[in-house]
Amino acid sequence: MKAPLSWLKEFVEIACSAEQLAERLTFSGLEVESVSADDPDLGGIIVAEILGVERHPNAENLSICRIHDGRSELQVVCGALNFAAGDKAAFAAIGATLPGGRTIEPASIRGVSSEGMLCAEDELGLSDDHSGLMLLPPDTPRGKRLSEIMGPPDPVLNIEVTPNRADCLSIIGIAREAAALLGKPMKLPHARLREAGGSIEDAVSVQVEDPGACPRYTARILSGIKVRPSPLWVRRRLMKCGIRPINNVVDVTNYVMLETGQPLHAFDISLLKGKRIVVRRAKPGERIKTLDEAERDLTSEMLVIADAREPVALAGVMGAAASGIVAATQTVLLESACFHPPLIRRTSKALGLASESSSRFEHGVDIMAVERSSRRAAALLSELAEGVAAKGVIDIFPIKPAPRRITCRFASIRKLLGVSIPASRIADIFKSLELKIVQGDGKTCSVQPPSFRMDLEGEADLAEEVARIYGLDRIPTAAPKCSPVPRADDSSIRAVMLCKSKLAALGLTEIMNYSFVSENLLNLFEPAGTERRVSLMNPISADQALLRNSLLPQMGETLRRNCARQAEEAALFEVGRVFSRDDTGALLEEERMALGLMGQAGRVGIGKNDIPTEEDVFLWAKGVFESFCRAMGIGLDGRSCLDAAAGLAVVRKADAGTSAGNGFPLACFENARAAFLLLDGATIGVLGLLKNDIRSDWRLRSPAALLEARLEPLISRAFEARHAKPAPAYPSVNRDVAIVVPMNVMHKDIVEVISKIAPKELTDIRLFDIYYGKELGTDRKGMAYSLRYRSPHRTLTDEEVNDLHSAIKAGIRNGLKAEIREG
Amino acid sequence: METRDIIRLKEKSLEECHLARDTDELEALRIRILGRNGLLPTIMKGLKDAAPSERPAMGRAANELKEELTALLEKRRGELAASASADRAIDAFDPTLPGRWRAMGPRHPISVIIEEAARIFATLGFTMADGPDIETEYHNFDALNTPADHPSRDAQDTFWLETGVLLRTQTSPVQIRVMEKQKPPIRIIAPGRCYRRDTADATHSANFHQIEGLYVDRNVSMADLKTDISYFAEKMMGAGVKVRFRPHFFPFTEPSVEYDFSCHLCKGRGCRVCKNSGWVEISGAGMVHPRVFEFVGYDPEKATGYAFGMGVERIAMIKYGITDIRLLYENDIGFLEQLSL
Repeated sequence: MKAPLSWLKEFVEIACSAEQLAERLTFSGLEVESVSADDPDLGGIIVAEILGVERHPNAENLSICRIHDGRSELQVVCGALNFAAGDKAAFAAIGATLPGGRTIEPASIRGVSSEGMLCAEDELGLSDDHSGLMLLPPDTPRGKRLSEIMGPPDPVLNIEVTPNRADCLSIIGIAREAAALLGKPMKLPHARLREAGGSIEDAVSVQVEDPGACPRYTARILSGIKVRPSPLWVRRRLMKCGIRPINNVVDVTNYVMLETGQPLHAFDISLLKGKRIVVRRAKPGERIKTLDEAERDLTSEMLVIADAREPVALAGVMGAAASGIVAATQTVLLESACFHPPLIRRTSKALGLASESSSRFEHGVDIMAVERSSRRAAALLSELAEGVAAKGVIDIFPIKPAPRRITCRFASIRKLLGVSIPASRIADIFKSLELKIVQGDGKTCSVQPPSFRMDLEGEADLAEEVARIYGLDRIPTAAPKCSPVPRADDSSIRAVMLCKSKLAALGLTEIMNYSFVSENLLNLFEPAGTERRVSLMNPISADQALLRNSLLPQMGETLRRNCARQAEEAALFEVGRVFSRDDTGALLEEERMALGLMGQAGRVGIGKNDIPTEEDVFLWAKGVFESFCRAMGIGLDGRSCLDAAAGLAVVRKADAGTSAGNGFPLACFENARAAFLLLDGATIGVLGLLKNDIRSDWRLRSPAALLEARLEPLISRAFEARHAKPAPAYPSVNRDVAIVVPMNVMHKDIVEVISKIAPKELTDIRLFDIYYGKELGTDRKGMAYSLRYRSPHRTLTDEEVNDLHSAIKAGIRNGLKAEIREG
Repeated sequence: METRDIIRLKEKSLEECHLARDTDELEALRIRILGRNGLLPTIMKGLKDAAPSERPAMGRAANELKEELTALLEKRRGELAASASADRAIDAFDPTLPGRWRAMGPRHPISVIIEEAARIFATLGFTMADGPDIETEYHNFDALNTPADHPSRDAQDTFWLETGVLLRTQTSPVQIRVMEKQKPPIRIIAPGRCYRRDTADATHSANFHQIEGLYVDRNVSMADLKTDISYFAEKMMGAGVKVRFRPHFFPFTEPSVEYDFSCHLCKGRGCRVCKNSGWVEISGAGMVHPRVFEFVGYDPEKATGYAFGMGVERIAMIKYGITDIRLLYENDIGFLEQLSL
C-alpha cells in the first residue's frame, strides 16, 4: 500500500517528517519498506499567460504564441491545440531544465524563433498526459512558480500491510494508526451529498440472491455525468498510489477505494438490461468478458453481478468490458458492497485474476462503512463529473452483525508480555485505537473493537495492540531462564550431526544440494522405478520438477561441476533426505549419506597429478566408509563382522540396471564395479564406480567412486555404551604366510577360510602384499598375510605357534587349492 | 726472532687451527706457517744467524711448532671433513616440503550454523526435535491457524505433491507434531529444510533452512522471547550484535514480531549484505496463538509459550559475508574450503 504523506495529513495532523513517521509505523507493526520522493523538480517552470495565437506560416500543426511570463513578452512556437488567448499555461523559459533533464535553449522552429517552451503534463513529469498544454486556473498570476502551485514535495510511504490488517489497505486506516501513535485526533469529514434527482427506486431494482456471499449491497444513481479526465490533483494521487487514471468516474471509484479501503464499481445504467441488478451465483456455462478483454468461463462457485439477462461484473473482482463507463455515459450506477472473503479469493485464484478490488475483498472490508464510502464517492462524482444524485440509496443489509466484545484481564496482558503496564495505560492505548471500553474495573474490562478492526477477536489480540503501541523495545530482557525438560531425547538428531563431524574428520568436504532434481538426471542414474518417484504438482521449472530419490545423481553432478572448474580431486559427502513412494503409492522420506570421490583423494602430497586406478578410488571410498562405521560404533563388538574391518560385507553386483537396487540407483555404476553394503545381513547401501559412459561424457579424468547408504542403521549404535578391555598381558607372535591363488580368488575368500579354521589364539589377519608376476602367469597372483597369535593366559612358545601356523597353512592349501610359498 | 716469539707463534697457530671453520681455512693456515714461503722455513733459515746459545732452544721450539701444528692440522682436517659430509646429509632433508596429511574436510556453513544454534540453545535447556519435509496441509497450515482461502497463505507460495500433501513451507509444523505427542513443559528447537515456490535470486532460494523454536510452560512471556533471542544473537554473532524487534503478523502467534540482527559484516554501517540498512531480518516469532493450543488439545488458559523461526541461510550470510544465497547450494570446493568451517 502506498500512502502519500499529504493524503494522510488530510485526516490527521502530522508534524514529523515522512521518515520519522515511517520509523514510528514500522515499529508499531506497519512496516514501511521505503519512503519515495517521486515529485519532479519544477524549479524552473513558471506560469505564463497566452496573449495571442497565430498559425505557423510553415507548419500546419504548429502555432506561434505571444505570451507574457510576468516579466516580459515572448514568442513561443507550440504544437498543442487545447488553449486560446487568455489561458494560463506552464512555461519553461530559456535556461530552465525540465524534470527529464532537458534544458531549454533558444530555437528556431521551421524558420520561426521560439523563446521557451509551453509544457504538457508529461513533459513536466506530472503525469503521462500529452494531450495538450498544462493549463492553470485563469486567476493564477503570471510568473508564479509552478512548484508553489503544486505545493511542497509529497513523499510516499510504501507500506507492507500484513494480512490481518485489512483496514490498513486504505489511507484512512494508515492515518488512524498515525493518529494513535502521535496522540492526535482523526479528522473524518462527513461527506455531504445533495440528492437532487428522482427517487432511486424508480431508476433501478436490486436483488441479492445469495446473502451469504454478499451480506451487504448498496447502489446509488448519478445522472447528468460528464465523463472527462479528472483534475490533476486526483490524477497525481492515483499515480502516486500506483493506479493509472482513466476518466473522472473510474478515477473517483479508485480514489475512494484508496481513501477508505472500500472497492466501488460504476456501471453505465443504460447498458444494464431491464434496469436490474441481480447478485447471484454464475450459471453453468456462463461466460464473461472482463475489462481486461479476456473471456472467462464461470462456475457456480463464483458470484456475479448480473442485469436482467447476463453477468455484468465478476463480483468483487472485475467488471465486464461491455458494462463499463464510456465517454458517452450519462447515468451511473455506483455499487458499494461487501462480499464473502473466501469466495472472492477462490474466484480470483481460479481465474488467475487479481485486482486492487479483489485483494481488498479477500482481506475483508468494513461492512459498516459500505454505505458511507458510497456517499463519499457520490459526492465526489457530483463535484468532479457534475453528477446529480438520485434520492436515496438502495442498501440491502439483512443481517447486521452484533458488535464484538472482548474481555481483557489486565493481569493476563501483563503476564503474556512480561511487563507491568498500569491498567490506565492499557486503557489509553485502547482508546487511541478507537477500541471502546464498555465496562470495566481495575482488573478486567470489556472492549468493543471498531467494525473496521476485524482482526481483533481475543485477549491475545488485545495484548498485541498493547505491545505494539506501548513499544516492544520497552519490554525488558533479563538473564535467560534455563530449565531442561526431563525425558526429552534428541539423540537420533545428535547422531546425524555426529555423522557429519566424523565424515568431515575423515577429510571429506560437506556439500548440500537442493531436494529438487530434473527427470533427465534421475534417468541417467537409474531409469527404472519411475513409478516410485515423487513429482511436484506445481514445479518452478522442468529442471526442478522431481524430488530426489537418491543423493547420488547430484553428488555425481557436483563432481562434474568441480572437475569443470579445474578441481583435480574431490572427496565429498552429503547427508540429506530422499523421497519416494512405496508399493501402495504412499509417500516416504528417508535420511541418507552419500560419498563422492575422484582423483588422488586417498593419497596426499606428491603424485597428486597421477590418475588413480579404478581399484584405488573404489578402495579409498570403501576405506573411508569403514573408518566412518567404526567411528559410529559399528563392528566394535564383532557383530556381523564378515569383512574384518568394518562389520560390513561388500558383495559384487554384476547386474546393474535392474530395479533390484533396494531403492538405490544401480544404472549409474560401471558393470561389475559396484557392491551392496550389508549390515546384519540387510542391504543398507551401495558403493561403486561411475559408469564409463557418463564419466567420459562429463570429462572426468579420474575414476569416480560413489557411495550411498541409509543413515538410520548407521547411527543406531552411535551412543551405545562402549567398554574398554585391558591391554594384553602377554606378547603376541607374528607369522607370515605367502599364498599363490587363482586370480578370481578374493581376499574375502582367503579370510573366510582362515577364520573358519582359526584357533582362538589367532587374533589378527592382515594382508600386506599382493604380487603379480611373470613366473605366476596371468591367471594367478600372490598374496601375503601376516597372522598374529596371542594367548591371554601366557606367552606362547615357538613350537606352539609353529603348530598353529602349520595347521592354518594346511587349511589354506586344502580350502583354496592354493600353493603356499615357503621361505 | 726469539724463542718465545716462536712459542707465541705456535700457540697462535694452534688456536687458529682450532677455530678454523672449514678445510680451506686450514689449508690457508698451513701455507702461511708451514708452506715453502711460510713463516717456519723463514725461522729455520734465520737459525744460522741466531746467537749460538739461543740456537738449540729456538730449534726445539721451531720443531715443536712444526710437529704440533702438522698433527693438529691433520686432526682438524679429519673432523671438518666428517662434519662437512654430515652437513650434506642434513641438506637432503627438506623440512619445507608441503606437509603430507589429509586435511579435515570443511563443513557446510548451513550445518555449522545449525549445530552452533543447537549448542547455544542446549545451554538454555532446549533439545532438538524433528519433523518430515513432506507435510500434511493440516500440520503446515490448518493447525497453525492458517485456514485455506485466507490471504495469510499468500506469504508462503507452496509446492504441492498431492491434494492435502505439500513440502513444508516452514519448520513450524514441528511445533504441532511435538505438542500433539507431549504435554508441557516443552523446550525444543527444530532445524530443517523448508520449501517455498520463490524464484531464486541473491536472497531467495526455493529450498532453504529454518530453525524452529518452541517454549511452552505456565508462565512464558514476550520478555522471555526477547531475552532468549538476544542471548542467542550474542552467542552466535558475538557480543557487539544488536537485536531489534518489530511487531508483525503470523497466523500462529499473537502477539507476533519480526526480529533483525545488526549487520555483522559492516557493524551496522551499511553494506551489500544488509542492503545498506545496517540490519538483517532473521525471521519471525511470537507468543503461541491460543487457537494453536486448542488445535493440539492444550488449555489456552493454562499454557503459554513462545515460538520462533530463524532463517539459517540469513545467519550464515551475515556471519560469513556471503552475498548470494545460491553460493550455498553450488558446492564449489574452493568456496567451501576457504571458509574451513
